[in-house]
Order: sequence, then C-alpha cells, then structure tokens
Amino acid sequence: MKPGRGALSGSPEAEIFGALRRGVGVALVLLLWELLARATVGSYIIAAPSEITRHMLGHADLLGRALATTLGSAARGFLWGNLAGALLALAAVLMPRGERLLSTLALLVFCLPLVATGPILRVLYGPGSGPQVTLAAMAVYYTTFLPVLVGLRAAPQGWFDLVRSYGRGPVTVLREVRLPAALPYLVAGLQIAAPAAFLGAMVGEFTGAERGLGVLTVRALRALDLPATWSIAVIAAGVSMLAFAAVGALGRRLDLAPPEVLLAPPVARGRRPWANLAEAGLATAVTLLLWKGSMELFGLPRFFAKRPEDVWGYLVAAPGADAHRARLLGALGETLAMAVPGYLAGLLLGAGLAMALTLRPRLSGAVIPLSIALRSIPIVATAPLVVWALGREATGTIAVVALMIFFPTLIACQHGLARTPRAVLDLFAVYAASPLRRLLDAQLPAMLPALFASARMAIPAAILAVTTAEWLATGRGIGALMATVASTSDYGMLWSAIALIGLAAVLAHALVAALERRVLARTSPEQLAR
Amino acid sequence: MSARPDICLVGVAKSFGVDGRRVEAVAPINVRLAGGQMTALVGPSGCGKSTLLRLIAGLEATTEGTITIGAETPDALRRRAGLAMAFQDPALLPWRTVEGNVALGRALARKPRDPKVVRDLIALVGLSGFEGRRPAELSGGMQQRVAIARALAGEPELLLLDEPFAAVDALTRDRLNTELPPLWEARGASSVLVTHSVAEAVRLSDRILVLTPRPARIAADIAVPLPRPRGAEVLASRAFRALCAEVTEALRVHQYPDTVAAQ
Repeated sequence: MKPGRGALSGSPEAEIFGALRRGVGVALVLLLWELLARATVGSYIIAAPSEITRHMLGHADLLGRALATTLGSAARGFLWGNLAGALLALAAVLMPRGERLLSTLALLVFCLPLVATGPILRVLYGPGSGPQVTLAAMAVYYTTFLPVLVGLRAAPQGWFDLVRSYGRGPVTVLREVRLPAALPYLVAGLQIAAPAAFLGAMVGEFTGAERGLGVLTVRALRALDLPATWSIAVIAAGVSMLAFAAVGALGRRLDLAPPEVLLAPPVARGRRPWANLAEAGLATAVTLLLWKGSMELFGLPRFFAKRPEDVWGYLVAAPGADAHRARLLGALGETLAMAVPGYLAGLLLGAGLAMALTLRPRLSGAVIPLSIALRSIPIVATAPLVVWALGREATGTIAVVALMIFFPTLIACQHGLARTPRAVLDLFAVYAASPLRRLLDAQLPAMLPALFASARMAIPAAILAVTTAEWLATGRGIGALMATVASTSDYGMLWSAIALIGLAAVLAHALVAALERRVLARTSPEQLAR
Repeated sequence: MSARPDICLVGVAKSFGVDGRRVEAVAPINVRLAGGQMTALVGPSGCGKSTLLRLIAGLEATTEGTITIGAETPDALRRRAGLAMAFQDPALLPWRTVEGNVALGRALARKPRDPKVVRDLIALVGLSGFEGRRPAELSGGMQQRVAIARALAGEPELLLLDEPFAAVDALTRDRLNTELPPLWEARGASSVLVTHSVAEAVRLSDRILVLTPRPARIAADIAVPLPRPRGAEVLASRAFRALCAEVTEALRVHQYPDTVAAQ
C-alpha cells in the first residue's frame, strides 16, 4: 500500500498538478456558494463567502480572542477526557468481571444531554471555564474508551501465551503486549476526540460563559446575524478539521498501522436471561448509588441537586406528579418523533451511500476524503444554520440528527466493506458475478459489523443533535423543555428529564446490541466469538 | 545448558467443559521422556497433542495426574523461565524489530541484556542484515526463524515446539528442518515437538510418540536410532524409510480403526 502512494506523490509534477486541481475545485465551490447566497439573499439562510470574509476581517480581534478561549477549554477537556477514557478502558481490561458494568456506566454518562448538564455544571462551578472543560471532557472520553478497550483486548491469543510461557504475569502482558497493541487504537480515538472536544467546549459556552465562540454563537443567533453565525460555523469547522488532520498526521508519524476494528461488537458473556437481568439490575443499583452518593458526599443542596428519590417523588408520588409526567412524556414524544426518523435516515443513508460507492469506485475516490473531512465538523455548531435552511418544522431537526450520524456511518461502513476477504472477492470474480451480486452476497455481510457499531455510537450522537437543535432553534421537545426548566430553576423537571433520557439511551443501546447479536450470529459469527 | 531435565507424566489427563458437556482431550497418559532428547508427538489433527504440549508447558492445568520436569512442576519451571515455546503462529510482536523480538525472549526469561548473544542468534538462523526489519517485512519462513531464535534466546532447559513449521511452505520447511536441529542439539536442551508430518518427526526426533484420535492416548512408542547429523544420505536410507512407514502405519491403524477391523 505504501509504495503506490509514495510513487504517486513522489513526482513533483504530479504534486503541482494535484494542488492545482484542488485549488480550482475550492475556487469553484466558493464561486457557487457566493452565487447561491446572492440569489437567496432575501431568505436569510446563506451568508456569502465575501460577507463571511468581511465579517471575519472586521471582527478578527474578537473572533481570535473567542477562538483562543474555546481552544484553551477544549484542550484541557481533551486532556482530561482522554485520560479518563484510557484509564477506564484499562480498568475494564484489568477487571474483566466489571467490564459490562463499567461500559454501561460509561455509556450512561456519555448520553447525559449536554443541554441539561451544561446548566447544572454552571451552577456547580459558578463562573469560569469549569463547565466548558468538563463538557469537552465528557464529549470525548467515551469515543476514546471504546477503541482503547478494543485495542487492549485485540491482541491474538499467541502473544499472551508467549508471555505466559516465560512464567510472566499480567503486568508484563500489559507492558509488552496490551499497551503497545492499544496504541494505534488510542490514536484513532484521539483523532475522533479532537473535534469532539472543540464541540463540547462550544456547547459548554452556550450555557452562561462569558467568553468564547459558543457565547458568540448564541449572541449571533439571537440577533439573527447571518454573517456572524456563518463565520463562527466556518471557524469551528476549520479548527475541527485541522485538529482531526493533526492527530492523523501524528499517528502516521509514529508509523502505527491503522487498527483493524475500531468498535468490536458487544461481548455476550451472560448467556442466560437471568444473568442479563441481574446485570441490568446491578447497573441500575450502582447508577442510583453513584448518583445519590456523590451528591451526599459533596453535600450538594437538595433544592438544586435532586436525589433519585426526589425524581421518583416528582414523577410518581408527589401531588401534581400526573401533570409533571404528562409534560415530560409529551416532550419526549415530540423529541422521539424527530430523533428516530433522523437516526434511521442517517444510518440508512450512510450505509446506502457506502454501498453505492462500491458499485462506482471512481466516485468514492472523491467522496471519501470529503466525507472524512466533513465528519470532523461539529454538526451541532451548524445546527442553527440547518434548521434555518430547512425550517423549524420536523424536516430541519430530522436533518440535523441525520447529518450528525451520516458521516461517521458512511466512513465506518466504507471501512467495513473494504474488509471483505480478498479470497471471497476473488471467488465472485472467478464466476464473473455482477457487482450487485457481489455487493449483496459478499460485501454486505462484511459491512454489517461496522454498521451496527455505528448504530450503537449514533445513539448518543442523536441525543446530542436533537436536544441541541430543539434548544437552539425549534423550541420544542425535551431539549427545549430542559433549557426552559434550567432557566426557571425547576430542577425537579430537569433531573427527571436527565434520568429519562439516560434510561432511554441505555434501552436503545441494549435494543441495538440485541439486534446486532442476532444478525451477526448469522452473518459473521466469528465477530462474536471472543 | 547444564540441566537436561527428564519429563515425567503420571496419569496425566485433561478434559474441557464445552457448553456444559465434558470433552476428554487427553486420556490418562504415563510416560517418561529422557533428558536431552527430542521427543516428537505425532497424531491426527485435533487429537489433543497440542493440549498435551500446553500441559507440559504449564499453560493449562491437568484435570488428573501430575507432570514433573526434572524435580519441578511445569509451573515452577515456567516461573523461573526455564522453558521456551515456539508456536504454530510465530507470534512475533509487530511493533518490535527482528532484533527487538529476539531480545524479548531474553528479557521475558529474565536473562541479562546481551546484544551480542541476540545478534549471534540472528546470524545463526540466517537473518543477519535483517536485524532492523519489522515482522511484516519478512516472509513466513523468516518469521518462524525469528521465533526460533527468540525461543533459544532465553537459554531454556526445555524447548517446546508446537508445529512450528506448519504454516511454512514445503521447501522452506525442508530447509528449516536441515538448519535448525544443529542449533538445539548444540544447546542440549530437552525438547518436545508436536507435528503431523511423519517425515519431520523421524528426521528431527530421538523418539516418536504416536497419539490416537481424541482423547489422546499413546498408540505407539517408536525409538529413532538414526545417526546425527541427519543429512541427505540418512534421509535416503532404508532405515529412515522403514521408520516413516512404521509411524505411518501406527497412525493409520488408530486413525481408522473401523477399516482395520473390517480387513
């Protein structure tokens, strides 16, 4: 694989020609963008590149300071979040019995809606950059935890036997086998984490920070300042793409082979239903204990930090609980009506395009680099633009959710399709099977593990996208409800909403995982073997 | 290598629990393997010969019976890094160079670092000039030679070889069979080789244990009194061919007991 690429980029003519072509392409896109913006100037949707440039130049100082603030928070969150993710993965590998529980808790915390945790962290930290850093860390730790966990476990049995045959223990296994084997997975996780940390810091700034790009976003949205909103979206996208590319370059510098599988299927340890039930019960108990315990430990005031029993009272026992429940469930219903179609659309479109591209390989040469670049854009930062463009009706929100899921799914499925065994493809070639037949019989089964892994990872992404879009743009659903009750200090409702979303996320995850096991048991049992 | 431990198996049996059923992999076996010899375990695929080797290595616990190596349990020997194992898959660490992988064999065996020993071993397996390469840059045969060098690097008293040449093409295998025996003969370690190639067993070993299909029992115990080094003239000899025929017949009788009964 290396020689080919080296030969292509080796000749200076080819390099100049390539740069020229890219330059012409960018110029063409900018020109089209400008024309489109000018043609739709009355509808307040698209800002022209010239307007954006003018705004950036005119406010360079302000934007620069805001960017520096956000970058600072993002960098600190990146550090802490990845550290937490890597250590959690290490803990899960060292205590295999606790792995399921740790994974469930990690997922639960990751699914906590930033819209709600933002205001709560703001109250806890007071003014300053604490919430931004925490949210940035929370936005990245899970996407590092999962690949590192896979990496630590991914080594072949023979390597473990080798170390054991010399009578050496788990510490040597960790040092000589697991840690080096996990390194490329860590880098892959860091690469996804880099733009996510930036996004987390921005969302953290939405909730009452004094400085930063997030603050400017909210201000620009309120003022319907189109060039300002677009400028910030462009800056956020640019920084995210740069961060993504920088970590990728670091990985190549270290000469790490890209990892085989990023997201392994869930391990099915408890075969009997009661074992799974017991695990679910244990996870619930530990969650409630951590929830209550940490609040008691830090002595958080009851008015603000609602305990599990307060939420139970608010939703079930207390007077007026019926009304509370109706309001919360109504909002959840509205949200699900957006999130589920968006989720499915994002997955299906991503997988569909990946499959279509295998039928037209020429096209994929152009689409894949583009979508890798676009994957790193914080879609949520552009959510207001999407909702503006498509309207406050269902379409806008659904599109935001779908967009958020589309790019990671496309890339994961592309990766999965490329893992079709060479010998199987040769077999189809020997019989001169049609590309469609090859796709359906050989490549689709190879893609399914990647698709399901994306489907699991897409759940938190969908929650993030739908709640943020509701909060910033549409003013409906559970995202808007949480924003409203946070601003009116209705903490009973806020904690209830958090608990409900957490529960929904874990249930959705379990549903996808069960479906995944059932399908993969037929199509690729080897993936489930470990 | 001063110590050449005997390997003593007394009533050794192993069974696994698979989906709630017990599967007997090794039936009770009693045998004593003399120190400094190479013993080959030959048997059909899946007969439990690799399991037997892993029992001797202490990587699996016996279900019944005891194994002693010299005066020690396999675990004790393993814990003081007295044994080395070469696997069917070379199991080289891809992020280490050839030199790094061989040096790992010394490090894991807690032997002092010694670049000269490592380089000599690399030269011995014919890989001088490849010290800085990564495993991915080597052919399968070269990788296997690195694995052998790694196994020897720890100066083991007991060398366990689990079909080390199974994944190597026939020509390379032939070359390794010629080049490698002098290495471990010179070092005089006791060794056990698992293989399903009859010719390889006869060529390399001093004694051949033919195992039955699962659960593994000793079907035949055949001494190989051929002179060493076993060059082309030994391989062409009548004695060599007679031994091959004897092992093959023992395998056939026990692999297809029904056909034998029908005859």
